[in-house]
Amino acid sequence: MNLKTYLCPMAALTVAGLISGCASSGVKNPSGVPVTEMRADERGFVAGTGMESQDLVAVTDKMARSVLNTPQIASAQGVPRIVLDPVVNETRFPINKEMFLTRIRAQLNSKSQGKVLFLARDRMKTLENERALKQSGQVTSTSDPRVVEFKGADYFLTGTLQSLTTKTSAGTSDYILYTFQLIDARTSDIIWEDMAEMKKQGLEDAAYR
Amino acid sequence: MPLTGSDLPLPLKSTLPFGLAACPGARHFGLAGSIVLVTALALLVVGCASTPKQPALTLTGNALVDGPKAIEQGPPKDKVLWQYRTATAALRTGDFELARRMLDEALLNIGGIIANDKEARKARGYFNREARKTFIGEPYERVMAYIYRGMLYWQDGEPDNARACFRSAALIDSDTENREYAADWVLVDYLDGLATAKLGGDGSDAFKRAQASAKGVKLPAYRPDFNVLFFFEFGPGPTKFATGQYGEELRFRVPDSPVVSAELNINGQRYPVAPTDDLGFQATTRGGRAMDHILGNKAVFKTTTGAVGDVALIGGLSTAAMSRDRTAQNVGLGIALAGLASKVISAATTPEADTRAWETLPRYLSFASLPLAPGRHSATVEFRDAAGRTVSNLTKQLAIDVPPGGKDKVILISDQSSTPQTI
Repeated sequence: MNLKTYLCPMAALTVAGLISGCASSGVKNPSGVPVTEMRADERGFVAGTGMESQDLVAVTDKMARSVLNTPQIASAQGVPRIVLDPVVNETRFPINKEMFLTRIRAQLNSKSQGKVLFLARDRMKTLENERALKQSGQVTSTSDPRVVEFKGADYFLTGTLQSLTTKTSAGTSDYILYTFQLIDARTSDIIWEDMAEMKKQGLEDAAYR
Repeated sequence: MPLTGSDLPLPLKSTLPFGLAACPGARHFGLAGSIVLVTALALLVVGCASTPKQPALTLTGNALVDGPKAIEQGPPKDKVLWQYRTATAALRTGDFELARRMLDEALLNIGGIIANDKEARKARGYFNREARKTFIGEPYERVMAYIYRGMLYWQDGEPDNARACFRSAALIDSDTENREYAADWVLVDYLDGLATAKLGGDGSDAFKRAQASAKGVKLPAYRPDFNVLFFFEFGPGPTKFATGQYGEELRFRVPDSPVVSAELNINGQRYPVAPTDDLGFQATTRGGRAMDHILGNKAVFKTTTGAVGDVALIGGLSTAAMSRDRTAQNVGLGIALAGLASKVISAATTPEADTRAWETLPRYLSFASLPLAPGRHSATVEFRDAAGRTVSNLTKQLAIDVPPGGKDKVILISDQSSTPQTI
């Protein structure tokens, strides 16, 4: 027996204690649980989180396909004209909600081979100014500028974003429902509607709880 | 005699870390090895101090100058704090574009779920301070970031996105320890309902929630046709301090406010403004945090390792000094060395609570809405003390340009706002 005999066990014990000890003991999931994307019909471990680019892509792809399969569009006589009516955001996530309709329009314009056309109502001021210039003879015109040629809408494309949020000690869970409609401008009939759902949940690191 | 695995008492063989007993080098693990190990341990414990430090920022006291500099050159962990501070300073000087940008960047951090974050994990460890983690603020601070951004969305003609901010704010305050104080911000619910009413929906549920939280203050019924919205804030907001043996307990200091109400004078009419929300109340009614539990554990660990170190040092040195037996002296010195290691570990343990705070927040919030015709209107806002006297140096002069077409005009007035302002 000598000093060395005692030093090593003590040092070892110190190391073991250092390794095994943890200030987070007694706190469940101290590292948190990373956000997990799930199917909307899948049961989660908490009953929520925000909209991201992949959601936007998935939702708008689905809606564009669905619109094209609508009988009123697929077998329309002539080319239906559509105007975008702003999406209403009822969720708890501030977003650039116009992106949804912009992407649906871009998808339809690029993939529908002319089955539908969108009217540029958001550019009306510029268009009216141009028409006024033509009417006053300040610029040339290939047709009679006094004849109204701005088209009226056959349909309005719009949507609503809604969410349901749960926050407990187990984490935060957000269910988001995306619904889009095509509304007949003459009759107010909703001739097409489709939806998409997302559910996300996560638990923050204990350092933030 | 060199140490071997077979020299160890049986239970200890299995506790030797890293297969030390099985390692051939362990045969030469003598006194020198032990000292090296203890020294290495001490270095391990304090090693983080060797992280290269960024040069200290020279601050002017003007958040509009200091903020962008600190965000650019300061530690990333304080970025959100500086975004908060810059946003309030920008709001109070009418630089809404800067406020918008700062708050958007801050919300990117506070709006998500922070999990598996390296700095957060370290902040929970024994040997790193809580202030090491990326600052996002306590719930009352995060709620205020959402309220400010919501008002700016409303100002930009996006009441639905404003409402989204108010709803996120309500959610942040929904997990208090005492459910009585969960999601009890009056303005958050009131504005949620008002935005809904303005969008053609039914805001009555939100109104009821707001009224229930208002505690005796009768809230005005929604008037969606009122086109000018005034958001008032006044008094100094809560700050943080740490208490407890090692500063491991986070507490909030709510200073007495020199102003407790306001009065809006516009077009010859006077409108009294009573506070709807008290940030001091919100900060102090949250209850404990999970992090408080962790800091408590750190404090216990610090105390225990310190006490063990004291006992081992005193006991070991006494044994070594008083004994005439060589073996007993060696044992005493060994115990003293282990005690020293324990003291080093104790000294390196950092249970201090994070007291970084958005100290430019107000104490009180309030709101008013009015119907005003398009065009310019002159307004005065006076702030009153508890005796109802006007605090004259805080009076604000406003020139309000109400736009045509029914678009809402949103005006944010603080007792700290610059004056006069044309909004």
